[in-house]
Amino acid sequence: MSKFKEKGGGTLIKVGLASLLMTAGLQSAFAGEEVTGGTLFGDMQTVTQDLLDNAAGDANNFLHTNANYNQTRFYPAEQINRENVHNLERAWTFKMDVVDSLETTPIIINGTMYVTSSFNHVYALDAKTGKEKWHYQHKMGPITTYCCGPNNRGVQAYEDMVYMGTLDSQLVALDAKTGKKVWATQIADPELGYSETMAPTIVNGKVLIGTNGGEYGIRGFVKAFDAKTGALLWTFHSIPEDSTGVWAENDATGLYMHRDIAAEKEALKTLGDPYKTLGGGVWQNMAIDRDNNRAYFVVGNPSPDLYGAIRPGDNLYTNSLVSVDLDSGEKICHFQYIAHDVWDLDAVSPPILVPVKNEDGQTVKGVLHGGKTGYVYVHNASDCSLIRHSEPMVMQRDRWVLPTKEGASMLPGANGGVEWSPMATDPNQGLAYAINLHQPMTYHVEETPYPEGKLWLGGAFKVIPTEQQWGNVTAVDYNTGKIKWKVKTQQPMIGGILATAGGLVFTGEGNGLFKAYNSTSGELMWQDQTKAGVNAPPASYNVAGDQYIVVGSGGNAQMNYKRGNEIIAYKLNKK
Amino acid sequence: MMFKLKSAWLLVAALTMFTSAVIADEGKLATGTEAPIGEQDKYASVQETLKTCFSCHGEKGASTIGTFPTLAGQEFYYMYVQLKDMKKGLRASQVMGPIVAGIEKEDLKLMAEYFSEQEWPKTDYKLDPKRIAAAKLVADAGQCAACHLGTFKGNSRVPRLANQHPEYLKNTMHDFKNDVRKNAPAMGTLFKSFSEQEIQDIADYMSSFKGE
Ligand code: HEC
Ligand code: HEC
Repeated sequence: MSKFKEKGGGTLIKVGLASLLMTAGLQSAFAGEEVTGGTLFGDMQTVTQDLLDNAAGDANNFLHTNANYNQTRFYPAEQINRENVHNLERAWTFKMDVVDSLETTPIIINGTMYVTSSFNHVYALDAKTGKEKWHYQHKMGPITTYCCGPNNRGVQAYEDMVYMGTLDSQLVALDAKTGKKVWATQIADPELGYSETMAPTIVNGKVLIGTNGGEYGIRGFVKAFDAKTGALLWTFHSIPEDSTGVWAENDATGLYMHRDIAAEKEALKTLGDPYKTLGGGVWQNMAIDRDNNRAYFVVGNPSPDLYGAIRPGDNLYTNSLVSVDLDSGEKICHFQYIAHDVWDLDAVSPPILVPVKNEDGQTVKGVLHGGKTGYVYVHNASDCSLIRHSEPMVMQRDRWVLPTKEGASMLPGANGGVEWSPMATDPNQGLAYAINLHQPMTYHVEETPYPEGKLWLGGAFKVIPTEQQWGNVTAVDYNTGKIKWKVKTQQPMIGGILATAGGLVFTGEGNGLFKAYNSTSGELMWQDQTKAGVNAPPASYNVAGDQYIVVGSGGNAQMNYKRGNEIIAYKLNKK
Repeated sequence: MMFKLKSAWLLVAALTMFTSAVIADEGKLATGTEAPIGEQDKYASVQETLKTCFSCHGEKGASTIGTFPTLAGQEFYYMYVQLKDMKKGLRASQVMGPIVAGIEKEDLKLMAEYFSEQEWPKTDYKLDPKRIAAAKLVADAGQCAACHLGTFKGNSRVPRLANQHPEYLKNTMHDFKNDVRKNAPAMGTLFKSFSEQEIQDIADYMSSFKGE
């Protein structure tokens, strides 16, 4: 159903922005209009709820970490398209102070861009020139905690402030015009392993944020804070006091997980419910259903990662999709992918709200999630139930073999399938785009009591460095579960992907290549070699009539890809 | 490039009395009540004790003897945790155990802060280029950079490994492997899976690391 012709030329059939905008019902003066003059930039415009609600049709700004509340990562501008993407060139490069893992999604509002680096620096830039407007450096407390690099994934802008979570587990609110701190609030105790790397999600004056800490025996949550004052409004515990569940024997794809349920039941009698230290971090943004006032997010792995005997039961709601009511934080529904996980195959890639076909061919409100298992899961949004899962996108080998003392190998490994990397979708084509990792690992288990806030893996993960590693970009038809195309990459992929109305998807690699593919066929259409790993999700925006694609090139700690400190913006050379 | 933000260590006190109250500004975050004190006065109470530390760990913690770890420039929170763990017996150490037994927690914290503020000494350990490939395989297998950072300079609760004495690194990795050092279970399992040769390789690699 593509509106583009396949390779071989021909004209690009333009679907006017107007049609997209109409469905979004825009009220803002800026949204939808491509800025034509240079008069608007520099004015750090207030981000209204209205703008946030209409982001899906806004071809000037990039207002949410994952493009819009549905988290589709589909950008409606088509100036850069299959016909001209070969003319894409660097417009500017901005160098940040910290050279380390870079996972930020730039947020762009009316010509001003906000980016963050490792160790919680925030920069406001002129999105046209890359010139710095202000720089904020968070004054870090002595205790930071993270499993996979001192990352930050960006800010959320709302009204006249920008908000960021920090490695020492604070939520800070900055004045968008000056970068001065307005308030900060402690989200949780970093000494116990709580920390923040995700960008907050903001809706109707509520700042929603989860937590990291699945490697430290935390009790996960999503908290809602008042955007004006920082006061805590509600807490949803991602681990309920009864975390036992239904004693599931198979995972969401129907594969037997080799659980010793009898032994677990015995252990439950003596140990009690392990909910207080069961992990279950929520460390990526939630999708927001504005019509039904609900949030959808995924919950991470149980603690300790590899040693399950100490935490009997299904370990609800670890490794699950969960939906809560936005006013109260009360749970509405959940679906668990892997009960009693002992492989750290947690659910983390942000869920996407998109209309999908159900089993009967009817179109319903759906939720997509890309798993570390390498499957795309398609749910019915109303009750979280699974409609289907895709074909596997990465190699499966001995899946659900149990970890051993000496080390057992299984594929995908803990760095496998879709990691935290957000997927993108093209609703017109019914495709979801995922970037995947293939990294063979052995899983080692060791009996380990709770170490009081220290790293708690219950064993160790070991990469098998002599086995080949690779990655891929995969397009999945979410209405059938079939893989439409797949392109293999030299290295395992981590970072994120963006789809555009120009018929393209943009994504980067650990070797520093940033690439554009034809979103219908997977054909490589353009690439640029940067100096460090491109392991951050790309964004797009428009200033003064030019569409830009922007991405961070700073490498990745988890995969040890070459570090750097650049934010690079591209636009068409129109000569 | 790494950032060290040690001045804020006083926050530990605030954190132990953790509340989710709104923190109005940076000043108050660092407890506010503390009067500004000069570096000199700050460590006055531990001045004499520090001198006893120097006898093994070197002047200002810049150790010149391979079995005594360099403390100068090591991470504050990491060292503070180690000293507490030694006091509790979680990290059994025949040498350090009796030393910390008689020192109050507050003084341990002060000394950890003192050492963290010193400069890491220049060392000149070398690794035979032929062994680099083998050492890198160990680093890849154990994903050391994911936690110790790409520079292996650590942060907060994760210690610096780069340019530490190879002898000490080897000893402590053995202690992890043999369940002598039990305060970091994740490291324990990891090193049980490595051979003697691999431990030697990675110790030499870290001590000679120049940041490539
Ligand atoms: C008699 C020699 C000696 C003295 C005196 C001494 N240390 Fe140590 N220290 C050691 C040795 C040996 C180790 C390694 C112990 C082990 O791993 O079991 C060590 C380890 C440490 C460590 C852990 C370092 C790391 O990288 O994990 C810290 C921190 C430390 N000492 C602080 C101190 C302080 C503070 C003092 C003074 C109060 C002090 N030491 C006095 C010999 C000494
Ligand atoms: C998942 C995170 C993680 C990974 C991966 C990891 N470490 Fe560690 N390492 C730590 C933490 C945390 C500590 C501090 C433990 C404590 O609090 O006692 C530590 C401590 C150490 C120490 C003790 C240093 C000292 O001064 O006494 C050594 C040596 C060490 N690690 C080596 C390695 C090596 C070599 C690798 C890779 C083969 C590695 N680590 C991988 C987290 C990690």
